[in-house]
Amino acid sequence: MSSKGMIAAGNAGKKQSPAKSVSRETKQAILGLAMVLPSFAILLIVVIIPIVQSLIMSLSNGQGGYDLSRYAYLFTDPGMRANIVFTLRVTAITCVTVLLVSYALAIYMRFNQGPIVDLIRRTYMIPLFIPGVIATYGLINLLGNHGWLSRMLEAFGGELPRIIFDEKGIIIANLWFNIPFTTMLLSSALAGIPSSVIESAKDVGVGRLRLFTKFIFPLSYKTFLVAVTFVFMGVIGSFTAPFLIGANSPQMLGVSMQQVFSVFREREQAAAIAFFSFLLCSVLGAFYIRSMAEEEKAKM
Amino acid sequence: MRWYWKHVGPRRIIEFVLLTVFAVFFAGPLLNLLVLAFSEKWNYPNVLPQTWGFKWWNFVLAKDDIVSSISLSFLIATLVTLLSIVVCIPAAYAFARLQFPLKRMFLFSFLLTHAFPKMGLYVSIAVLFYQIGLMNTLLGVVLIHMINVLMFMTWIPTASFRNVHRAQEESARDVGASPFKVFRSVTLPMAMPGIMVASIFTFLNSLDEAQGTFLVGIPDYKTMPIVMYSIISDFPSSAGAVFSIILTLPTIILLVAAQRLVSADVLASGFQMK
Repeated sequence: MSSKGMIAAGNAGKKQSPAKSVSRETKQAILGLAMVLPSFAILLIVVIIPIVQSLIMSLSNGQGGYDLSRYAYLFTDPGMRANIVFTLRVTAITCVTVLLVSYALAIYMRFNQGPIVDLIRRTYMIPLFIPGVIATYGLINLLGNHGWLSRMLEAFGGELPRIIFDEKGIIIANLWFNIPFTTMLLSSALAGIPSSVIESAKDVGVGRLRLFTKFIFPLSYKTFLVAVTFVFMGVIGSFTAPFLIGANSPQMLGVSMQQVFSVFREREQAAAIAFFSFLLCSVLGAFYIRSMAEEEKAKM
Repeated sequence: MRWYWKHVGPRRIIEFVLLTVFAVFFAGPLLNLLVLAFSEKWNYPNVLPQTWGFKWWNFVLAKDDIVSSISLSFLIATLVTLLSIVVCIPAAYAFARLQFPLKRMFLFSFLLTHAFPKMGLYVSIAVLFYQIGLMNTLLGVVLIHMINVLMFMTWIPTASFRNVHRAQEESARDVGASPFKVFRSVTLPMAMPGIMVASIFTFLNSLDEAQGTFLVGIPDYKTMPIVMYSIISDFPSSAGAVFSIILTLPTIILLVAAQRLVSADVLASGFQMK
């Protein structure tokens, strides 16, 4: 492909300059497309085609026709309905908690100095690189019945309430995974806020809360929304933590669709659950792509 | 003591308590696994093991399927990293430097990998792989690992290539270097830190990927995280802790080696435009 472009450019070189610049553009266009297409092909195979295919498959009713019966099942089956409500509950609680904690941590790191802050800065990203299975396993051992924390508390005469192997456990594991990631995104946004803005606001006597609502939040809200998107989708699409510490029912959607696919082997129904989870995230997903596209437009 | 606290002030105390909670919450699980891995006897309610030792290390390293999962994981991670470098770096260069039709559409299409909940996407892929015969194949596993890395493997290097000043490239051209020479001795070295970070993340990401492999790689492609699922349910917790350390070790080694390059800014550029 690129050699063709080169020949075209070579021929054009003999003509006068406007034509030369045009064919140089053509050459660049062909070269650019050739460099991008392989990675796009992989994207096509692992994202675009599967999504379209799962939509089509989820609409087939098994008798050669197409209808919404697989989706109706999601709302008529009491077990499935409980799973959906459970998933949304866990997701909502996790999102709110993660964002509150991460904002606080990111602001603390941005506007404080000292050895402790340096230590946090250097270590807070470590959980991002710990495999999910390992972290979940560590949490089970630390927080479970007769776990390390309960032994430590008992040594001081305290008692640890049951906090793992149910909804709380799933939320705790999700906090462990999502707080460092969200803090990372938010700190990189806060780093972009000039200190002078904050200093001068402080100088004219703006209080902490107003400083946050009038300056810090508006200047970082786009990243905030990206963070919401990632946490929301991360929890709805989570599997490892709920698989290892969740109860048998109600289940998170991720576990439920894996079971329907691998254990019950009902591929059409699994496709319907998967597509339903896409619908749940569609607004945020669309927002994410849109806001990134706007950001990029400003640069190109 | 009271005098000390008063002197320090309530703000410091709250700060201290919160930081302790953080430290226990985030470091506790990992520390716990570290202690467990070197304990031979640790009965309830002892706070520390009664006997320390390497018993469970010998146990884990003597199991053939566990050892073979380690080499399989490294093989897959290497393949995924190589494939993504070959495929994504040229694309990143094109996005940063060339003008071509539908450029923005292509650039943003990579966002799709992060615009869907992961397990839903994996199930959709599994449905497709089942029909085209990629279930339980090496290619299938490598492809499913590519999803998570496509975007930052393209975007982080794109940002790095963009940060190379055109003036530097042009002055190299002015003294007579060919375009390829300019790329090799000016552009590429300056973009290298970003490419390195992206490649390391790709490698680690593939090494740690569990959910997608669990869906399309079973029963023949049991990577380390998949073996970990069964170790958790089948073996005593000390065996699981030993394997956890084995699984985390490459991550720690690579991160320490690349510590200088990793920052919130570089990482964040893999997930959002800045």
